[in-house]
Amino acid sequence: MSQTSATAAKPAAAPNSQDHGPSILGWILHNVVWIWLIALVVLFGMFNEYFFTTFNLQNIMVQATVLGMIGLAVALPLLVAEIDLSLPANLGFSSAIGAMAYSDLGLPWFLAMLIGVGVATLIGLFNGICITKLKMVSLIQTLSMMIILQGALLALTQGRTITNLPQGYVWIGQATIGGWPIMPVIFVVALIGMAILLKNTVLGRSIYAVGGNAVASNSAGIRVDRIKIITYTLAGALAGVAGFLLASWQMAITSNQGSSYLLYAIAAPIIGGVSVFGGRGNVVGVLGGVLLLTVIQVGLAIIAVPSFYVGIIGGVMIFIAVAIDAIRVRYFG
Amino acid sequence: MSVAAATETGQDPIILRVEKLTKHYGSTAALRDVSLGIRRGTIHGLLGENGAGKTTLVGIISGQRTPTSGSIYLDGQPIVNVDVKAMEKAGVFLVTQEPMIIDHITAAENLMLGIWPSSGGFVNWRKLKADAARMLQDTGIDPQSLAGKLDAVARRKLNILRAMFSGGKVIILDEPTAALTVEDRAQLFTFMKELKAQGVTFIFISHYNDEILEICDACSVLRDGALAGGTEDVGNLTSEQLSELVLGRGLVLFQRERRTYNEQRPAVRIRDVRGDGINVSALDLRPGEIVGFTGLPGAGAKELARMIFGLMPVRSGTIALGDSPVQPLPAAPRDAFDMGIAFLSDDRRRDGLVAQMTIGENISLSSLSAVARSGFLKPEAEKVLSDRYFKAMGIKASGPATVVDTLSGGNQQKVCLGRVLATGPRLLMLDEPTRGIDIGVKQDVLRIIDELSLTGVCVIIVSTDTDEIVRAVDRVCIFEAGAIREELSGDEITSERLRQGAKVTAGA
Ligand SMILES: Nc1ncnc2c1ncn2[C@@H]1O[C@H](COP(=O)(O)OP(=O)(O)OP(=O)(O)O)[C@@H](O)[C@H]1O
Ligand SMILES: [Mg+2]
Repeated sequence: MSQTSATAAKPAAAPNSQDHGPSILGWILHNVVWIWLIALVVLFGMFNEYFFTTFNLQNIMVQATVLGMIGLAVALPLLVAEIDLSLPANLGFSSAIGAMAYSDLGLPWFLAMLIGVGVATLIGLFNGICITKLKMVSLIQTLSMMIILQGALLALTQGRTITNLPQGYVWIGQATIGGWPIMPVIFVVALIGMAILLKNTVLGRSIYAVGGNAVASNSAGIRVDRIKIITYTLAGALAGVAGFLLASWQMAITSNQGSSYLLYAIAAPIIGGVSVFGGRGNVVGVLGGVLLLTVIQVGLAIIAVPSFYVGIIGGVMIFIAVAIDAIRVRYFG
Repeated sequence: MSVAAATETGQDPIILRVEKLTKHYGSTAALRDVSLGIRRGTIHGLLGENGAGKTTLVGIISGQRTPTSGSIYLDGQPIVNVDVKAMEKAGVFLVTQEPMIIDHITAAENLMLGIWPSSGGFVNWRKLKADAARMLQDTGIDPQSLAGKLDAVARRKLNILRAMFSGGKVIILDEPTAALTVEDRAQLFTFMKELKAQGVTFIFISHYNDEILEICDACSVLRDGALAGGTEDVGNLTSEQLSELVLGRGLVLFQRERRTYNEQRPAVRIRDVRGDGINVSALDLRPGEIVGFTGLPGAGAKELARMIFGLMPVRSGTIALGDSPVQPLPAAPRDAFDMGIAFLSDDRRRDGLVAQMTIGENISLSSLSAVARSGFLKPEAEKVLSDRYFKAMGIKASGPATVVDTLSGGNQQKVCLGRVLATGPRLLMLDEPTRGIDIGVKQDVLRIIDELSLTGVCVIIVSTDTDEIVRAVDRVCIFEAGAIREELSGDEITSERLRQGAKVTAGA
């Protein structure tokens, strides 16, 4: 009566490959950041030819450097399924410490800069310890750390802007070779370094594993707490370097240095495909997210969108990128 | 369908029918042109090797996955574009292969998920609690405990009970017994028979022949995504015939040649393990010995293994491996691996796999330092390692670069096993190693473990599967109240003795 009667059908033919429609769509969605980036570049270029000038390209590269460094920093805790909101504040605070080690303690600028980066690293380490050993929730712990650091910066500077930065200190932010700024080189080095770390080292593999499934990683013999602490520490160090670069480039440290980066620094890696649930994402994606956000910022300034509209237009552009990414995750994992 | 076959109530005797169902994942076909009908009020077995497409088929029937092509009829009505919620409303409930549990809510809330009693949009908490308490009585599960704190057996029971009490007319159980004890299983079967008498229809997936023979009326077999046979009369089959139907070939059951080890010096000496209800003063394993741990959940078999691996804290306890000096038990799994102790957990989704990583990355995950130099991975070395265990475990996938998430349950289990074996341990502890693995591959796995033991590796198998214990071990430790109550070896190890042992424990 039904097909379930005792028959022994022969196994059917081997699986035949399916149409390639979904895979093309998949490719587009996987590379949506880059496609969106190119589209915007063309769009801005059409509005204003100035967008395609060498000077503007250099401008974008420099702007992308600081955001890129802080974006890489933010990506690290995200990869282990945690978050560090204090990184932009850490950037500002640590650079002020570095500057004051020069101005108040009279240390040579290089040593002072190292002290700044060292402080940033220690703050990262401290965050990592709080989150693993004290089991504090990273969102709240780093939020409070952000407020503490912002407050500390304000207290340190007494609301004033630090401008007496030494020649050596501001050199990297100003130097050019054949007219091209050299600051982006640091970002490129960091990018390559982190790509190698994530792809080719035991630490990188462990970071992905912990972000993918911390319980299973522990059972598989990965020291989960240690991996998390290391990622927070590395993130702190990257924020420290970003702080130095920002101060060097702007030749100043304001009393709320770095704060304006908060949203963009978190948006960049996420737009680039770093999952907030951990275990997914790579540096190429982060680069894409950073460039996209920078192009939006610079582009809107260049085509002279009235300042009242910059916020909403930029926001909508980010929203579209994130929405497309969500669709990708929904259909292609 | 002939009209004559209809029952006197005028209902179609086929409650659920699928026609020419096909499902593609990218270029792989998980189901190919499957057509079958399920008779009303029967228990219909769905059989097949790992990756045959069983989970995919019931996933489609329950609205969890969408077919590439084909149609489904419930009570003669075609069903299109439905989701799980709609199917549950229509009376089709699925208990998925992997536990679907929300860790941070209580057992009672998990039990009532989506079927909670409500009026005007508000959950009736009092009724929810009362209903849950009624369902959970005799199960030993506290309705108010957080689901995340429950063990694998209890978590599994929550999903099953939810479906059983749902009032559904078709209940699909995807390997429900894989995490159950003998008693739980008997209870489940009694319950199923009661519901069947009331007209409920079941689709039942299992890799255990004895279960199919005990409970199913009819069965269908899938092989490589296609319907490969079946019978309307399971009662006339022997276990051998059933295996042949599933595999398409005869099956030789593995049986270890049991060894006794009187004179040899022990290769593993475990002493004075105490903590969290466990109290084991001495356990020795001879080189190459395979010891089975068994007992009711909470009796200590699982817990002792986890303590030896550093997954559960202990108050005291030492271990000596080979000629190494006596050491405290490892404090963390990493230390255990470094000492040469490996452990496979019974909950692969939670505790065994990183689902979004590839097969190869999962296999090498516990041996990263062995495939790296000064912190840098050596891709060739890693590939050699993962290829080796990919082949050894007979994982059904296009290659080690396949993402684990897309594998069938049994194949995921093989990946876990491969990872643990790849560490080259001196003491290997396996908690339900063949759970979810099909009968053919199960023999292969038992053979691999056997061969490993011949090289001198000591093995502990924690299992509630008496058949597996009888076939694979030299000695059995039966646990009760956190201690080893009884040891069996040689000819004393029989299914009857083991079942008896479990009963005595239960009665105590
Ligand atoms: N999401 C997915 N993406 C790609 N392939 C998949 C996906 N889910 C299942 N498959 C493939 O479909 C096939 C059938 O898988 P399915 O889970 O239905 O097997 P199964 O019969 O339930 O096996 P088991 O006994 O191991 O549970 C397998 O080859 C599997 O790799
Ligand atoms: Mg399955």
